[in-house]
Amino acid sequence: MRNIFTIFRKEFFRVMSDRRLVFTAIILPGLAIYIMYTFIGTAIGGEVEDIVEHKMIIYTENMPTDFQNFVYAQNINPEFHDYDPNNHEEIEEQILIGEVDMIIIFSETFEDDIDNLVISEIFIYFNPGEKYSNYAYGQMTNVISTYGTIIGLDRHGDSYYAFMVDSGIIMDEEKAAGQGFAMLLPMLIIMFLFSGAMSIGPDSIAGENERGTIATLLITPVKRSEIAIGKVLSLTAVSMMSATSSFIGIMFSLPNLMGGAGAELDVFIYGVGDITILFSVLLATVLVIVGLVSVLSAYAKTIKEAGMLIMPFYFVSIGLGISSMFSGEASSELWVYFMPIYSSVNLIIAVLTFDISLTAYLITIGTSLIYVTIFVFILTRLFQSEKIMFQK
Amino acid sequence: MNTLEVKNLKKTFKLSKKQQKIERTDTKLKVAVNDLSFTAYPGEIFGLLGPNGAGKTTCLRAISTLIKPDSGDIFVGETSVVTDPESVRGKIGFLTSELKLEDHFTPNYLYIYFSRLHGIEDEVIEERKDAFFERFGIAEFREVKVGDLSTGMKQKVSIAISLVHNPDYIIFDEPTNGLDVLTARSVMDYLIELKEAGKTVILSTHILSVVDKLCDRVGIIINGKMKLCDTLENVLKTDPNNNLEEIFFELVKEDELLGGAY
Ligand SMILES: Nc1ncnc2c1ncn2[C@@H]1O[C@H](COP(=O)(O)OP(=O)(O)O)[C@@H](O)[C@H]1O
Ligand SMILES: [Mg+2]
Repeated sequence: MRNIFTIFRKEFFRVMSDRRLVFTAIILPGLAIYIMYTFIGTAIGGEVEDIVEHKMIIYTENMPTDFQNFVYAQNINPEFHDYDPNNHEEIEEQILIGEVDMIIIFSETFEDDIDNLVISEIFIYFNPGEKYSNYAYGQMTNVISTYGTIIGLDRHGDSYYAFMVDSGIIMDEEKAAGQGFAMLLPMLIIMFLFSGAMSIGPDSIAGENERGTIATLLITPVKRSEIAIGKVLSLTAVSMMSATSSFIGIMFSLPNLMGGAGAELDVFIYGVGDITILFSVLLATVLVIVGLVSVLSAYAKTIKEAGMLIMPFYFVSIGLGISSMFSGEASSELWVYFMPIYSSVNLIIAVLTFDISLTAYLITIGTSLIYVTIFVFILTRLFQSEKIMFQK
Repeated sequence: MNTLEVKNLKKTFKLSKKQQKIERTDTKLKVAVNDLSFTAYPGEIFGLLGPNGAGKTTCLRAISTLIKPDSGDIFVGETSVVTDPESVRGKIGFLTSELKLEDHFTPNYLYIYFSRLHGIEDEVIEERKDAFFERFGIAEFREVKVGDLSTGMKQKVSIAISLVHNPDYIIFDEPTNGLDVLTARSVMDYLIELKEAGKTVILSTHILSVVDKLCDRVGIIINGKMKLCDTLENVLKTDPNNNLEEIFFELVKEDELLGGAY
């Protein structure tokens, strides 16, 4: 234990007393975010595809068959259900949680209104905080307005203002904001956790091997496992600082980040509990990433080689982070939470969307600890291997 | 008794393609140390003498437990490098040019760091450090980063750090290599001090004069094999002129006639 602490302290001091490393590992990530959000803003566009493929679920009342056919003719194929005013609260609840996309209520006298040139009212309930619902709203209002124009021409040989659309917003403001975060943060978090670990891990392990300084450590009576744990813990501490810096960067740039995107993102929707859980998830994730980076760095003989070995893992992890942009919600499949990094991505989303399940949380934390233990074990073996440490 | 006994040590390396080219050989295996045996005694300096590539560093690395013997064993006192490498590391001070100190740290910091890793009490650390830094003129450079020190000063700091735990066994691989005359001299003087303090000292060198000046016992190693191993006195007797250089060249020639060790 004492040795682990001694090594930890020295490794930590190594970084903290080096202005260049403090800048690249701790300050730069926070700064970089300002540059990133412009790029992110563009990336959000990619989400559209998934939404288009989603089957809309719409409750309707008094919907004319003619209109329904018109919708189908537009190549939009929603799942229509009959709306029953007695169940209004239930349906509204479902819209709130995103299981139903909207309610469209036509006037009982819709057909007569049109024939008599009365402006008929169509009422729509939807939830702008749910991306599918929001998209469905845009689609359906479009269809309705086109239908209005056509029907006007058809029946009166003129375009006239046939009906008016009014809408009721059913939205949980916090969840809407949470979804905004959930789309952006996981990728950024994974990226910054990685970049923190990558900016110091290869130097601390492959670099020491390359420069021959690790051998000096290896001839002390210290156990290899103590060296491995000491290094992993200090790298974790620095990576956490790096992640914190990123986090601060994100918080400061949020208003700009969301810009025109509509949803108001306010960090203060999260309570101390959420932040604590988030922090523990980040810590577990950092441990896994640092473990991975350390093992690859020990296997590599030079810093350069280490960087090259880490790259594929870095890109895959970012890919997993990006996947959250498309789903916008945490996976409910349990196996996901056994996968390193991917579990973190989903759990981060779960926390941000107030959708966290205790089982998923415990599995993620538990498996992360198992993964890092495995990595420390491999790292210890690599430190023991004369092939790795003393190959010419 | 603080003897250090190398018993039938054998170490083979697999050669990579690149190494095969450098060594100009088609064989995939290189026997670096071949059935090597010798004993070093306390109060003596044992010199492992051999040309470059003879296997000296490999042998000393095996003693320091950085690499494991293929067969044979080494006993540091009672402790075997095979069964208890951690205890062996606690007993020996090992110095080789491949063990580097991190440029970023100061001698003061590193001395304390490595002392702690050897489990030494803080008071003892300070005492030894002051004495050592004084003795080697490191004191005024104690807060200068290793990266900014001269080669000679770096070597002195390395020696200081290899001896933080005041070990009974001292293994120095080519300790005067690349040093200016003055520094080399002070290192040699110190080795004699250590020997007089009753330490078991082993050093390797390819420089004959180092053996002449320092060693009580010498083992001549060529191509991984021990060709001759005795007290310096007895070794010198084998030549009519008591000339170590003649003896050494005779052995090298003999080995070449045999077409190498294997
Ligand atoms: N890790 C290694 N891999 C492959 N060959 C090695 C390795 N270490 C040493 N050798 C080879 O073993 C032989 C002995 O090397 P070494 O012990 O360094 O010699 P010396 O120190 O006497 O100059 C050399 O031919 C060297 O190339
Ligand atoms: Mg050598």
